Amino acid sequence: MTIVTGKAEARRTLQPGRPGVLRSIWEHRADYAYVLPAIAVMLIVIAYPIYYTIELSFFKTPPGLQLRDKTFIGFDNYTTILTSEVFWTVTWNTLIWTLGSTLISFVLGFATALALHREFIGRGVLRATLIIPWVISAVAASYIWKWIYHSDFGIIGAVLVGLGLADRPPNFIDNVSTVLPSLIVVNIWREFPFAMIMMMAGLQTVPDQLLRAAKVDGANAWQRFWHVTFPHLRNVSVVTILLLAVANFNSFIIPWIMTGGGPSNASHIWITHIYELAFGRQRWGVASAYSVLLFLTLMTLGYFYVRALTGNERKEGSA
Amino acid sequence: MSTIAETASRDRTRRRMRVDGWRWAGRIFLAFMLLYTAVPMIWMLITSIKSGFAATQFPPQWWPDEPTLASYQKLLDPQNSVGQDFLRFFWNSLFVSTVTTILSVIVAVPAAYAFSRFSFPGRNFLFFAVLLRNMFPAVIFLVPLFILMRVLGLMNTHGSLILTYLTFGLPLAIWLLKGFYDNIPVQLEQAARIDGATRFQAFILIVMPLSTPGIIATAIYSFIGAWNEYIYAYTFLSKNEQLTLPVGIQRFFSENTTDFPGLMAASFMMSVPVVVLFLVLQRYFVRALTEGAVKH
Repeated sequence: MTIVTGKAEARRTLQPGRPGVLRSIWEHRADYAYVLPAIAVMLIVIAYPIYYTIELSFFKTPPGLQLRDKTFIGFDNYTTILTSEVFWTVTWNTLIWTLGSTLISFVLGFATALALHREFIGRGVLRATLIIPWVISAVAASYIWKWIYHSDFGIIGAVLVGLGLADRPPNFIDNVSTVLPSLIVVNIWREFPFAMIMMMAGLQTVPDQLLRAAKVDGANAWQRFWHVTFPHLRNVSVVTILLLAVANFNSFIIPWIMTGGGPSNASHIWITHIYELAFGRQRWGVASAYSVLLFLTLMTLGYFYVRALTGNERKEGSA
Repeated sequence: MSTIAETASRDRTRRRMRVDGWRWAGRIFLAFMLLYTAVPMIWMLITSIKSGFAATQFPPQWWPDEPTLASYQKLLDPQNSVGQDFLRFFWNSLFVSTVTTILSVIVAVPAAYAFSRFSFPGRNFLFFAVLLRNMFPAVIFLVPLFILMRVLGLMNTHGSLILTYLTFGLPLAIWLLKGFYDNIPVQLEQAARIDGATRFQAFILIVMPLSTPGIIATAIYSFIGAWNEYIYAYTFLSKNEQLTLPVGIQRFFSENTTDFPGLMAASFMMSVPVVVLFLVLQRYFVRALTEGAVKH
């Protein structure tokens, strides 16, 4: 990866003694001007909110945003959350949502990338068509699918009835047991193209000579894939899966617009739940504590993300 | 002799059959994915040219008996209150997305260049801090930003959205562009500087033109992100005349829940700009990902 060389270099420049650091900061002062705008925006919009969320999570807050009247209550918000039943329902939903969406999107996207790797007539058009759902707004996607799932006039229900598989159109999103899988289908619809693009880009880096050499040695298609292509794509795969996992963990629009978390919390995931606590019920303190928990979970994922991004580096550094 | 030739040819046919097997599996799979992808979009288009009555039939009319563009006319007619709202949302979205795109290119280009070329202390820390932004959900920032925007007096302004959207686009933009700059040989710049160019001139005249595909990819990404963003717009804006498309459409159709053709027409028109933009410029995007993100 690209970051690779960076860290090694920096380590080298940093090595000569501690006192050198200040001088080297001074010597490079002009370089900071280039990153300053990016860092400034990030600080305002990221560092401050993170600090504020953590602070708020230890306070009992009155509804309305008269936050001056908050009172310190220690870890009470956290105990409230962890002992509530909703928390566990929502956590379970989040787990299914994130894992289901991520893995299926990745597998479908990867398989599509492989199937599109060979040249054939119409490949460009097909590829472009498959990418469109990723570009469409999630709000539009939610409405399109809400209409497709509609319990009276939905196309899926009509097809099922037409084929004699159901007496009347099933109600996909007003049913506790089908709502989450139905929403996952929508999410995958929007997300597999991302995995497809990433894996297509990855496939182009697999050296042709290796594949040809394997073919000469008598490896069949599956063996060539498993022993040559796949190992080459391991890093891309890890990065893609992590990006998908983070995006899914953080998704909001599809559940929010299609069901609003219902029926009876069956499609509430962490994000929609936090949103409802904060802006619906105005329980800012509890919502902040939830956010902090979310934050910690994501930090764990983030650790693996950075490890995956720098994985190459260490190997190259030692070589 | 003949037996060897025979086995060889049998071997070859068998291998061809094996390969054909994979190829057929691939074709069937692609056909399935095409159905999955295209059917919802086609159904959106078909519904959008139905009348309200035709849309609510069971079994559905697979193709409307009387196709009509009435929904589109209603949305695009500035005389009509629905059309007025829709066009205003459209312009709001266009304004916010364009400004966000321009600003994020202006901010990301120097930052990515610095991350690629200079080795100042804390570079890696800052780089990962920027990347980590991607990890955190909008909701975490929502409450504090809501308060921050009130303090800054940006509530109910497009400025609040532009400032926030900048930070979505930046991490990936910087990452992609850095990949590009890593690929441009330093020698090119050095040659220019020996010829008397300043670092800034070398950057503008040599590096910028070479990284155009990366800049275009960055711009598309920012534009699409800003165009489609919903949660901040939903939280920060409350005045009807300032809403962007996703929120405007959601608010409008939560009041008119049965106008499915209108909803589908609005969804279609909301998708057109980004889809066209993406299809025209997609080769840059795929190239940027290949060169920037997944380079070995």
